[in-house]
Amino acid sequence: MPGRLTRRSLLLTASLALPLAACAQAGGTASRSGPTKITFWSALRGSKQVVDAFNRTQNKIQVVFQQIPSGDQGGYAKLSNAARAGNAPDVATIEYPQVPGFAIDGVARDLSSMVSDRLRAKLLPQALGLTTFDSRIFTVPLDVEPMVMHYRKDLFDQYGLTVPRTWDEFETLARTLKSKAPNRRLYVFPTDGAQQVAAYAWQAGAQWFGTKGGAWNVSLADAPTRRIAAYWQRLIDERLVFTNAGTGRQFDAQVSQGLVLVRLTGAWDAGAQMKAHTTQKGRWRVAPLPQWDLAHPALGTQGGSTFAVTKNSTHPEAAMEFIEWQVSDPAALRARLTSGASSQYPAVPGLLEVGRAAFNRSYYGGQDIYRLFDDEAHKIRDGWIWGPRMSATQRVMQDGLARAGAGQETVIDAVRAAQSGTMPDLRALGLSTTEYST
Amino acid sequence: MGTTRKHATKRRGERFARGVLMGPFFALFVVVFLIPVGTALWLSFFAEDRPGLGFGPDRTVFVGLRSYFAVLSDPTFLSSLGTVVSYCLLYIPLMVVGALALALLLDSGVVRLRAWAQLGLFMPHAVPGIIAAIIWLYLYTPGLSPVVDLLGKANITVDFLGVHTVLPAIVNISLWSNLGYNMVIFYAALQAVPREVIEASVVDGAGPMRTALSVKAPLVRSAIVTVAMFTLIWALQLFTEPVLLSQSTPMISARFSPSMYIFDAAFTRNNYGLAAAASVILLICTIALSYGITRWSNRTDRRQEIAR
Repeated sequence: MPGRLTRRSLLLTASLALPLAACAQAGGTASRSGPTKITFWSALRGSKQVVDAFNRTQNKIQVVFQQIPSGDQGGYAKLSNAARAGNAPDVATIEYPQVPGFAIDGVARDLSSMVSDRLRAKLLPQALGLTTFDSRIFTVPLDVEPMVMHYRKDLFDQYGLTVPRTWDEFETLARTLKSKAPNRRLYVFPTDGAQQVAAYAWQAGAQWFGTKGGAWNVSLADAPTRRIAAYWQRLIDERLVFTNAGTGRQFDAQVSQGLVLVRLTGAWDAGAQMKAHTTQKGRWRVAPLPQWDLAHPALGTQGGSTFAVTKNSTHPEAAMEFIEWQVSDPAALRARLTSGASSQYPAVPGLLEVGRAAFNRSYYGGQDIYRLFDDEAHKIRDGWIWGPRMSATQRVMQDGLARAGAGQETVIDAVRAAQSGTMPDLRALGLSTTEYST
Repeated sequence: MGTTRKHATKRRGERFARGVLMGPFFALFVVVFLIPVGTALWLSFFAEDRPGLGFGPDRTVFVGLRSYFAVLSDPTFLSSLGTVVSYCLLYIPLMVVGALALALLLDSGVVRLRAWAQLGLFMPHAVPGIIAAIIWLYLYTPGLSPVVDLLGKANITVDFLGVHTVLPAIVNISLWSNLGYNMVIFYAALQAVPREVIEASVVDGAGPMRTALSVKAPLVRSAIVTVAMFTLIWALQLFTEPVLLSQSTPMISARFSPSMYIFDAAFTRNNYGLAAAASVILLICTIALSYGITRWSNRTDRRQEIAR
């Protein structure tokens, strides 16, 4: 899935070669006068630079960094196993959908009493809401990624297309394009895109998981989700979109050959695109995601990471201090940006100007995309809750989406399969569950 | 007196020898079978529970059959069982009939260069399963595969990794790997068939076909049952081939076979209770089926003896 990797380009594939820092948990052995040692695992690009900057700026805490594979490439299994063996790092990186899972497994500590009021006030409330469960904060958000529409300005101009503001316009546009350029499509329906489906559903007002009444209410196939599933099913059936994976070689080829004109992804993808397709400089622009109701705009997110202090940490205060610096200090963001172009939208909107100033706008023809991200981030619909076993839920959904792409099933079948494949998991974990609107 | 003591010493010596000879087996049996099975059973009945939403402190509790109910109500587990049943129905008959046919051919003396033919057929078995899967993955992947290319030139488009072709594709890999091995077992059994029986059938006017099917094949029945049983046990644990092929086709899900389901439950879902319950269910199915086959074959044996 190189597409996603580009962003979290984590995958310095070599990471596996790094020996498990022998000093993991070495904090206890540090001499009394020396700095407190904490360990930090991340798959995020630029983490090394951030850690170096932190270690330079103070001498109380020394962070030992280890690059690990991204979550779905084995990073999460590694973290779970390490926690089970009692040697998880002090600080770990967890993406939003996986936060409740790691909280339930007891890997991520309850940070409610450790997050300072100062930090709490700086964070975008919607971002913090995604890491808060049962009124307890389990991780601290680094970036939050509203879904936006990246589009080929040159090809839009060539075919006389206007940027769609609503999903109806999007559909009409897809039809127009197909008639004008039969070999091109507006977009793909990504068959590996459970995250996209979630973002579409989130925007439309779905509530896949709820925690009211002290039980996990699961309703993946609720009315808003059925609505977006029917919408995309129509686009698939009328062949107005390609149906293939939204990451990987085939999709990369479709982008580089201009066969698809838009990409519906998180804000981070603007930077990833710059790195992956340098020759398309100047041809892309970013626009808000189409809306269902322009009077009441709403959005979901796609991507974004958070930091947890693990239960194995012997220095949780030091770990928290490092996390706070990492997510809210301008020097941290600057250090991260030295590893290459990034268009992440910081969960601390106060850092926006740092990212904006560092971002080279020439790829987007001078467009101030950070201004747009800022507008969009505030439209993120509050109250979305990820489920307790999101990696598994997404995988089951993607198995179904792959079949839907092959014309064997439908999008809503895949969503329903994801729900029925998730419930036994939650029951076996001993959680209280209820199901709605299946 | 003297003789009894001698007897006693002899008996003690025998017991000692028995202990030495059987010891390693039982030691290994306990370490690599009983302890893991016991652990799985324990994991499937006890869990570290956090009730409600699951964010509170955990405590270890007896959960009874909860994990078993969860597994058996999981449509993805049931479909993985379905997959492995279709796999067995396709694979086992092909394997047994194919291996037996090859062994009969070799035994009939029709084949020249018998040793070479045997070696050639047996070779794939020496290739580790994971390498075999990689070789075939290469041959199946469009754009890489010379086979797909060649067929493409003849205007035949085959997607070896499509919805309906992926299971036969896996059966093909397993056949390639194990056919030679089972053929050797059959061939060895055929060597033990008394020559006079075959000569008698030839004298009675049976052609080579008739001899093979009516005389030789029934005489190696116990080998057939053994091969079928081992093939079944291996087939139920289907794992390596689909895991590797799953990297190239979305048609193989993470819970394609029961073994993959167990792996996914433990390492993707971090749900050890579920994984343990699924393992125990798979173990019970395997034992029940093996027992069933043995009983069935014994009974038919006896019936035939009575009939005689």
